[in-house]
Amino acid sequence: MAKFKAMTQEWLDAYKAAIEADPEYKPMAKDWEGSVALVCNPDPSKGVPETIYIFMDYWHGDVGEFLVCDKAKAESATFVMTGDYSRWKQVALKELDSTKALLQGKLKMRGDLPYVVRNIKTVNKVIDILGNVDTLWPDEM
Amino acid sequence: MASGYAGKFLLVNLTDKACTDFSVDDPILKKFIGGSCLGAKLFLDRYPVDVDPLAPECPLMIMTGPMVGSGFPGTSRFSICAKSPQTGIWGESACGGTFGPDLKRAGYDGIVIEGKAPSPVYLSITDEGPQIIDASEFWGKDIYEVTNIFKEMNPSFKVLAIGPAGENLVKIAAIGNDKGHFSGRTGLGATMGSKNLKAIVVRGSTKIEKAHDEGYREAQKRAIQEVKDSALAEGLHMMGSDANMDLGMITGDVPVKNWTVGEDFLLSSSLSGPTMRETYLTKAHACSNCPVACKRIVKVDEGPFKTDEGPGPEYETCGTFGTMLMNPDLAGVIKANEWCNKFGMDTISCGSAIALAMELYEKGTLSKDEVDGLDLSWGNMDAVMELIRKIAYREGFGDVLADGSLKAAQKIGRDAMDAVVHVKGLEAPMHDPRGFHGMGLAYMMSNRGACHLQHAVLATEQGMASWPQLFDMKDDYQGTTSEGKAALVFNSENYGILFNSLAICHYVAYIIKPETILDAFNAITGWNLGFDELLQAGMRDWTIKRGFNNLLGITSKDDKLPKRIMTAHTEGGAAGSIPDEKLLLKEYYALRGLDERGYPLQEKLEDLGLDDLKTRLYR
Repeated sequence: MAKFKAMTQEWLDAYKAAIEADPEYKPMAKDWEGSVALVCNPDPSKGVPETIYIFMDYWHGDVGEFLVCDKAKAESATFVMTGDYSRWKQVALKELDSTKALLQGKLKMRGDLPYVVRNIKTVNKVIDILGNVDTLWPDEM
Repeated sequence: MASGYAGKFLLVNLTDKACTDFSVDDPILKKFIGGSCLGAKLFLDRYPVDVDPLAPECPLMIMTGPMVGSGFPGTSRFSICAKSPQTGIWGESACGGTFGPDLKRAGYDGIVIEGKAPSPVYLSITDEGPQIIDASEFWGKDIYEVTNIFKEMNPSFKVLAIGPAGENLVKIAAIGNDKGHFSGRTGLGATMGSKNLKAIVVRGSTKIEKAHDEGYREAQKRAIQEVKDSALAEGLHMMGSDANMDLGMITGDVPVKNWTVGEDFLLSSSLSGPTMRETYLTKAHACSNCPVACKRIVKVDEGPFKTDEGPGPEYETCGTFGTMLMNPDLAGVIKANEWCNKFGMDTISCGSAIALAMELYEKGTLSKDEVDGLDLSWGNMDAVMELIRKIAYREGFGDVLADGSLKAAQKIGRDAMDAVVHVKGLEAPMHDPRGFHGMGLAYMMSNRGACHLQHAVLATEQGMASWPQLFDMKDDYQGTTSEGKAALVFNSENYGILFNSLAICHYVAYIIKPETILDAFNAITGWNLGFDELLQAGMRDWTIKRGFNNLLGITSKDDKLPKRIMTAHTEGGAAGSIPDEKLLLKEYYALRGLDERGYPLQEKLEDLGLDDLKTRLYR
């Protein structure tokens, strides 16, 4: 099975395909409205020399654009989540719950927090699916 | 006198109508700090522990701490302490609001009330001193009414009052501060009622000196920035403590149908913090000097549960009067909260007792005749409202529930005991130990009975806070495992118990870094304590209260979870999970230094400087 280098377009395409293939996602996310950006702070020691910006469009159970993008595009998202590479890796590997990371300040979010709380099952679902994408992490290459 | 303290305590003897000041030596303050820890020390030094909780001889103590009145975020707190009328062991209940800082500014670190007034009175404490004043005309009035009367007398008064429940010695009675802040747990409103003390009003203007103003200002500036940067603070401000409802239903934290159902997302969605924000919230409200403002102000404009604009329910109340009763109507929860506030009753104990009654009614253990003809079907909020009133006035079946769930089950008999969720006589708050095993241990070992606020386990196990600078901690704890939890609970107790002594709000202390709190504490007091000494103080705090309870007969046999919690759910986030009681207790006892009877070891008492307690426990 192919492994995808984390936070590349190929990895995002695989992630999008995994979400679309998940039978539980669409009904669970039927009320979700809004794009999500992930911002990964640089950590050259871990193989991340520059900030990585990712844009993902979610709408009523459908998934639209999933892009590695520039800063402006990321900041146009409804929700923008920022964190260090090691924290994103912990979240993807399910070593750190994303809500806990947010509450502890290990990840930061800009956006409507009550909306996220109300739709927390959807949020948890997409993170669960992320954990299923076979990922090659830069610090392990 | 140490900085940060007002420098004196007020001793009120209501029998003699006498008020005198007394002081506590600095070395005692440094060891026991303030709040409920110092309250336990004063009780043990001055009063017999076997006193009847409702006898005139039983003291009622209202205690602040050295950080109260400083202006540091979250330090509006005070602890009310006594021997609990509900449980018969150590009782305490902390409160935010406005009363604590003004008591300090009126010149007192705390109040110790003895005796019983021959007729209803209130205590007035201002810059001019204390006065005991006739309150006959206020007896019978609810907390909102009497608070309004005092505010009309003087808008600057900060009011602490009981309602009809306290007057009627209801053992789940609460004490309310300015209508929106309550010392709810352990029934201390009944202690106040037993003394014929309707209210205490304070107004003070004296500045409390700090040892190092500049150091304090620097710590305060950092604290405010940490609040601004915190998603937890943002969530609490926007959704109140009820932000937990949606999240908790996923993890198995939220009890449903008197702890018998593992999940119900329709209920949590109807009762959640975001729903309250979209429907009945009119504004957020803050305790004195709090930048978080997690309190809810709500208004129900129409329908059977219409209310005026006023204090709204916390998460705990949305649990006890919502999910626990299978009630999806948030307006009904708001109305139940308002009535409990007015009558002066703890919403956790009151809602839990009603959930117990509803379950027993459904099973046929209780007949309609036995419950005064009420239809106690799940979710029937009309009946719930009537039952709240009956409990407050000890009318009919209300009198059965008025002493709390455990005593109600004992009175009802038959299979009722199987349906009570309590530890040491106090109903569990709305956090299910099947979803979070550490919370189960914390319930077993909390000195006031099942409690989520005698420690910081809620923060550490559920991931609201992470304090690797204080003790060894993982980034993430799985709720449904018992491995590694004893150490987490032990450490989270040693830190979290201090919040009720310093005194600082739990939520704010979850948000602000421990080093910032410690820097502020040291700048206020001038003591220069380190984390080790702080955690040692926490250990002392826990141990002195345990010793108090040991003197009253509490042993290892009382450190246990109820049958219902030891029965796994078949659905939900905690399906199939129960805490490993044996493992948790074995590891915890070793860490805490408890012998097989559940007594603190003699060398532990010596290490903590609790020699007097050692003498009493080992005489």
